[in-house]
Amino acid sequence: MATTSEETSARNADGVREFEIDVRTQDVELNMGPQHPATHGVLRVLLRADGEILTGGQCHLGYLHRCAEKIGESVDYIQYLPYTDRYDYLAAMNNNLGYSLAVEKLLGVEVPVRGQYLRTIIAELNRIASHLVAVGTYGLDVGAFTPFFYALREREMILDLFEKICGARLTYSYIRPGGVMNDAPAGWLEGVDEFCDWMDSKWKEHWNLLIESKIFIERTAKVGVVTAEQAIDWGCTGPMLRGSGVDWDLRRDQPYLVYDRLDYQVIVGVGHRGTVGDCFDRTYVRMFEIVESVKMIRQCLAAIQDGEVCHPDVGLLLRPAPGEAYVGIENPRGELGHYIVSDGSKIAKRVRVRAPSFCNLAVIEDILPGCMLADAAAIIGATDIVIGETDR
Amino acid sequence: MQAPARDTGWGPMQVHFEAARLAAAAFEAAGIAVQLHEPNLPVFAEEGESKRLAKKAKDGGEREWRGDSFLKLADRGQLLAAMRILRDDLGYEQVIDVTGVDYDAEDANLWGVYCLLSLRHKARLTVKVDVPKDDCWLDSIVSLYSAANWHERESSEFFGIVYRGHPDPRHVLLPDDWVGFPLRKDYEFPDEYHGISCN
Amino acid sequence: MNVAAIFPTDPAAAAAALAQQGNLATDALQGVLPAGVPWWMITLGGAGLGFAAIMGFVTVMSMFSIWLERKVAGHIQVRLGPMRVGGWHGWAQSIADGVKLLLKEDIVILGADKVLFKLAPALVLGTALATFVALPFGPGAMIADVDLGVYFIIAISSVTTIGIIMAGWGSNNKWSVYGAMREAAQVASYEIPFGLSLMPPVIYYGSFSLRAATEAQAGWGGLHWYIFDPLTFWVAIPSFVLFFVSILAETKRAPFDLPESESELVAGFHTEYSGIRFSFFFLEEYAAMFVMSGVGAAFWFGGWNFPGLSLLEGSPVLHSLAAVGVFTVKSMLLVFVMMWVRWTVPRLRIDQVMTLGYKYLTPLTLICVFAAALAEYLKS
Repeated sequence: MATTSEETSARNADGVREFEIDVRTQDVELNMGPQHPATHGVLRVLLRADGEILTGGQCHLGYLHRCAEKIGESVDYIQYLPYTDRYDYLAAMNNNLGYSLAVEKLLGVEVPVRGQYLRTIIAELNRIASHLVAVGTYGLDVGAFTPFFYALREREMILDLFEKICGARLTYSYIRPGGVMNDAPAGWLEGVDEFCDWMDSKWKEHWNLLIESKIFIERTAKVGVVTAEQAIDWGCTGPMLRGSGVDWDLRRDQPYLVYDRLDYQVIVGVGHRGTVGDCFDRTYVRMFEIVESVKMIRQCLAAIQDGEVCHPDVGLLLRPAPGEAYVGIENPRGELGHYIVSDGSKIAKRVRVRAPSFCNLAVIEDILPGCMLADAAAIIGATDIVIGETDR
Repeated sequence: MQAPARDTGWGPMQVHFEAARLAAAAFEAAGIAVQLHEPNLPVFAEEGESKRLAKKAKDGGEREWRGDSFLKLADRGQLLAAMRILRDDLGYEQVIDVTGVDYDAEDANLWGVYCLLSLRHKARLTVKVDVPKDDCWLDSIVSLYSAANWHERESSEFFGIVYRGHPDPRHVLLPDDWVGFPLRKDYEFPDEYHGISCN
Repeated sequence: MNVAAIFPTDPAAAAAALAQQGNLATDALQGVLPAGVPWWMITLGGAGLGFAAIMGFVTVMSMFSIWLERKVAGHIQVRLGPMRVGGWHGWAQSIADGVKLLLKEDIVILGADKVLFKLAPALVLGTALATFVALPFGPGAMIADVDLGVYFIIAISSVTTIGIIMAGWGSNNKWSVYGAMREAAQVASYEIPFGLSLMPPVIYYGSFSLRAATEAQAGWGGLHWYIFDPLTFWVAIPSFVLFFVSILAETKRAPFDLPESESELVAGFHTEYSGIRFSFFFLEEYAAMFVMSGVGAAFWFGGWNFPGLSLLEGSPVLHSLAAVGVFTVKSMLLVFVMMWVRWTVPRLRIDQVMTLGYKYLTPLTLICVFAAALAEYLKS
């Protein structure tokens, strides 16, 4: 198999090539997707491969484009809320939150304290759910089926909690401009507490079953390395950025909601099993963020007081002041930004969604060449994209 | 650097206002014509504000607005120079978003919008530049920020802004043969696409 | 296998050969048919009976394995697996699946090499069935007592690879070609540790014959298995571990399921197959698992020997049937371990598979062979 000339040529003591295997075969063009198990949806990656080794990759997106931004210019502010559920359907609560915060910025209203705590709890619960799916499906990508079902078992409990509080299991529209839809039903907060205990006791199971598996480490360590410079340059955010060793978390560095009152750690990839910024580090960051989220939820549960959950002046028909607002929040996949331009009427002039997966995905074209075909699945999986979000 | 204090429920505001002022001063020193726009409404709404604003919209008068402050470049030819200053001198390492806005179908200009983030200073900055609709180009900043690559492709297919010097100006979300620029306000929806009825 | 014994020219020699072979099918036929029936009819009849027996056994066993796999997977994955079809724990699920696969449209895609595409499943399943011929199910319950039993199984089972390359190439699908090439590389590489890991028991028994190996383990009331032998267990256990890893690779089971690794290659070589042709590949996989496990059971775990089995020796038919049962259960236990492994570990990458095969397994099996020889020398 012809690889780089470095590997196929032997050098003598002076470093001069003595011979070179110059058998080069034609590269294979492989169409990975849009219907492919490893692309997490309808992503199409056009791979060029020399045998098992990739020489290039190009992403083709748009198979799930649903014109979210155009719709934002034709429906009013509250009507747009359900569309936000649909970009990152694994973390719909966080999407609601990002959009609501941007609208609140234009409205100039601050959510009551109980509402903020509820939002924080919900957002962190959804982060756990999303990270569980991310790590579980990553297991699928590298060929381990069982961790996925364990992850779903835990996620199911979160979905049950969400169902109790808002009636929906996937697309919630629970967090809305002005606060949240309704207060938590009786016993719900205790249910969250029970879930925290459960998650704490089961976390080690996930860690032992998948992350500490020798084969998993072999498959992910030193694979798909994104250096810190690369990650910053390509606009990576979230676990992708932190996995590359950059200490940046919007919850700490641009504090919103009540995150400044909570005590938690920002998990940064340290090259636990290989190089900083490899696929293992991204998974490592996600796994430990679950622990940190549980910690945050516990603190919120301890601090939450009775009170209003929604600002009384914010009704169903919103007329924010003219102006423009960009609000970026820490979604499970990175920075979800909403850039809203208002002219004071009930319909926005522009709703721009800065989707984390879209930006995180761009970097893989840079790191695919030189990897093996099986690594392509591992790299795409570690990027943790949701196609609903890249295509919007 | 210490994280900025949380002054609102949606994140810090003052640090961004300050960052925009600093950047405006730096641009002035470098001889790049730039205008700093700062919101003239308070961060939190006052009692009865929306009624007052609605009344004012009818009567006319000075525009009152809220939200982020932004810098507006006077000359789009200076975009690359401005971005280089932002990246190299002011420490904005990441371009978070590149997009466009078509504020009104009647306007002669689109806005090119750049949202930047400084990890070092924990500050955000929005830079805007006017793009005439009949001569719709901007310089590509991919050479400075790789992250702009896909964003510029997206903005170019949706608004028709040609990013000069972009290494790979294909469509990213729309099909390659899509006609028109969907996010422009005067965009007319097609009746059919390759024989598929869109109505 | 003596060709002259199968196709003797002299009828008397043929009858003698038949009597020598001592398999149930021909014995039964000779008992039932009147004297004077030509030898070739008995041979053919015996072959037919044997084929029917294998076919029936493989089909039922594979269906059971598929059901078992789904139940095992289910319970490992905190769910239940099939629960509806047939009532008790979805026992009829495989039958329903089989009927569904039979009724499904058989798609031969455009641009496929039709001859290869259609021939491949038959070749793959055919070779898998052929390996059953040499399995020692029980005393007298062997289709053919092949002298070089293990050798025969290694040789025939590697023909499967050709069928899979045909399938991958004939599918006109790049993912299938990748799967086929991986299969070729992987199986060819693991033939070496697989073959070598069988050498310690062969040295121990002094024979390639699976029947001889089984009979050699009959001592201690049926518990004198190779793996329990106090003089050689220190060779037997590591060589079995190496053998087990090799058969995982040989039968394309996780963590070595690269030819069909569905998260990378969609479904590998059988991506384009549907309906009954697809089910042939499916059956082959489980048949191959059973055969390999059977070899393991016969060489390391005493084959059909089990305490108490000798009580039935008075009734040959009952004894045979019980022996078949013991052997099948032992093999299925190994098959279960293979399933257990599959649903626990992630998949290796092709270069890691090769590294494991050439860098670790091959030298280790060579050491095992040497150790086995040493053990024999020390014993004598």
